[in-house]
Amino acid sequence: MTGDDERALLLLRLRSATEECPCAPAPPAGGDAPAPVAAEDRAARFAEAFEAAGGLLFAGPAESVLHDLGETLRAEGVTALFSPEGDAAARRVAEALAPFGPFTLVSCAEVREGGGAAAAAAAGFRTAEAGIAETGTVIETSADGKTHLPGLLPKVHVSLLSASSLHTGLEDALAALGPDPPRNVTFCSGPSRTADVGQVFAPGVFGPVKTIVLLLTSP
Amino acid sequence: MEPDSRAFERNALKALSDKELQDALENAVGRIEARRAAAVASFDGFEAARERASGLRRETLSRLGDHLARFIEEAEKRGAVVHVARDAAQARGIVARVAREEGVALAVRSKSTAAEEISLDDALREAGVEEVETDLGGYVARLAGEPPSHILSSAFHMTREAVSRVFEGKLGEPPAADAATLSAIARKRLEESFSRAGMGVSGANFLVAETGSVVLLSNDGNARAGALLPRVHLVVAGIEKVVPRMADLPVFLRLLSRSASGQPLPSYVSILTGPRRDGDAEGPQRLHVLLIDCGRSAILEGKYRDALKCIRCGACLSACPVYGCVGGRPYGWVYPGPIGAVLTPLLAGLSEAAALPDASTLCGACSDACPVKVPLSAFLLELRSDTRFQGLKAPAEIAWAKGYASVMKRAGVLEALERILGELSRLVSKGHPLSGMPYPFAGWTERRDFPSVARRPFRKLWKIRRGARE
Repeated sequence: MTGDDERALLLLRLRSATEECPCAPAPPAGGDAPAPVAAEDRAARFAEAFEAAGGLLFAGPAESVLHDLGETLRAEGVTALFSPEGDAAARRVAEALAPFGPFTLVSCAEVREGGGAAAAAAAGFRTAEAGIAETGTVIETSADGKTHLPGLLPKVHVSLLSASSLHTGLEDALAALGPDPPRNVTFCSGPSRTADVGQVFAPGVFGPVKTIVLLLTSP
Repeated sequence: MEPDSRAFERNALKALSDKELQDALENAVGRIEARRAAAVASFDGFEAARERASGLRRETLSRLGDHLARFIEEAEKRGAVVHVARDAAQARGIVARVAREEGVALAVRSKSTAAEEISLDDALREAGVEEVETDLGGYVARLAGEPPSHILSSAFHMTREAVSRVFEGKLGEPPAADAATLSAIARKRLEESFSRAGMGVSGANFLVAETGSVVLLSNDGNARAGALLPRVHLVVAGIEKVVPRMADLPVFLRLLSRSASGQPLPSYVSILTGPRRDGDAEGPQRLHVLLIDCGRSAILEGKYRDALKCIRCGACLSACPVYGCVGGRPYGWVYPGPIGAVLTPLLAGLSEAAALPDASTLCGACSDACPVKVPLSAFLLELRSDTRFQGLKAPAEIAWAKGYASVMKRAGVLEALERILGELSRLVSKGHPLSGMPYPFAGWTERRDFPSVARRPFRKLWKIRRGARE
């Protein structure tokens, strides 16, 4: 029997199993969506949820937080910074931050090829496509060839997030993906962690130990 | 993983006398329950969301054929290769074929109950593929040579000290005192596998029909790395995982995250829609989705259809007093706890798992905890009835139940029996609880006393009190 036959048989089985179904129609989507929130409140709500999820937030223009951000990265043992080639905003922040370490600027390829040791000493910078105020989530997608690497391999993940890109809740965020979503979409809510040992959350398994958001408000 | 549920009673007794297991369960259940309770309490619309989620699941199941056909069409339109397997053997054949055709030498796997259901590791071994479990709990359980004991956290039954001993014995690592050090050891050992692996294997939390997307939730980040870094990604998913629309996801994400780990959302929600396109920086060049039936279409047809509403959050496990005492291993298959006591008989056959529906106090805590309102307690009771009618109950148990029913139907006989037992109780134990009884009741008093029979039966007291009031 071919795969196509097996598939047709499965669908036949499922349709015949549900032929006489007295089921009520589905409830409409979005019934428990959070109420719309004004733009300025979305930022506050995002900050609260993001920090509750274990993230560290810096708000304001990038120049005003460079010193504190540099201190934080140094404390985490970061020695190298990288950002995707085409991400000019992330690159500008990484370059401006370099003297505060001092940090070495490296490329995505160097981190990828350097393996665990390179990633363990690196902070990856990336501009996030959007955020979700409800859950303190940063959204990254593969649209326009963007890479997930800064949030995938290094010890610290720094997201540049524009306050104007914040969605109120999951409903808006998922609707914004449209009918043909980018191939890879990740909702990142806090650092990588596991509770597999004794149900105690330990950070940094296969992803960053620390997630930082630089929340950029428009002037 | 082959079912081994027949020895539930023997294995449960063993679990009860395992001091370290009891410590591990007390700690783990206590922590996970506290997190879940706090998350539910802080979610204002929890009950309304449960109701909606239950309705959505029921509606989806009532048109599962249409929704699944749409998923297949949309996923293939975007370049995924969709396979369908009727049973576990066929699924293993497909996995082995995909691995061979894709020229895979190493596969990284993130925890998936569907993959365990079909014994995916056997298929990869047969195809000559080295397989690495990257989920920390799964990695630990494998090193210890033990089967998973929880649908989300494979090493749920192990204390921190036990995990440290496994790393010491199997990996030669020094003893570690905390969870962070232990997870760092695993990371060091496993992270290099992602860059070497030719294939990532994962389950799916949801399949979105309208876009052909696979949705994966994880805290570790292993599922995300396994989906993005290797050249091939194989998703193994039950056919019931489909949701019709992207707009249906929020309610399930809210409920699943809170019920599973007490979080508003896990660290990573990955939405994967087809293999990488030209110009994409990451993602698999080939995406295979293996949809397994393995008994689900038969469940869909019968009275247990609502069991397929389950979203695998594990809330019923930690809410269950039986699971809390014996852990997952005595259940003998992929799905332990109340959902396991329902799914194992339905998927693996009632004769394989006739003892499981009895592994419940019928207190209803599982049904109350379930975020999609699977009527677990009612199903357990119904399955007990099925075991009786399929001739799977012991003759002594049937005789006892018949005798009990016969007495309960006759008020006079019940009263006479109560009087006799009351007198006997006063004669034998002077009204104190009995600490030992003869066969066939000896089992009862092995671990607890049998209460003395009241001097006056309840109905008599009721009559007297009503009389006094009137």
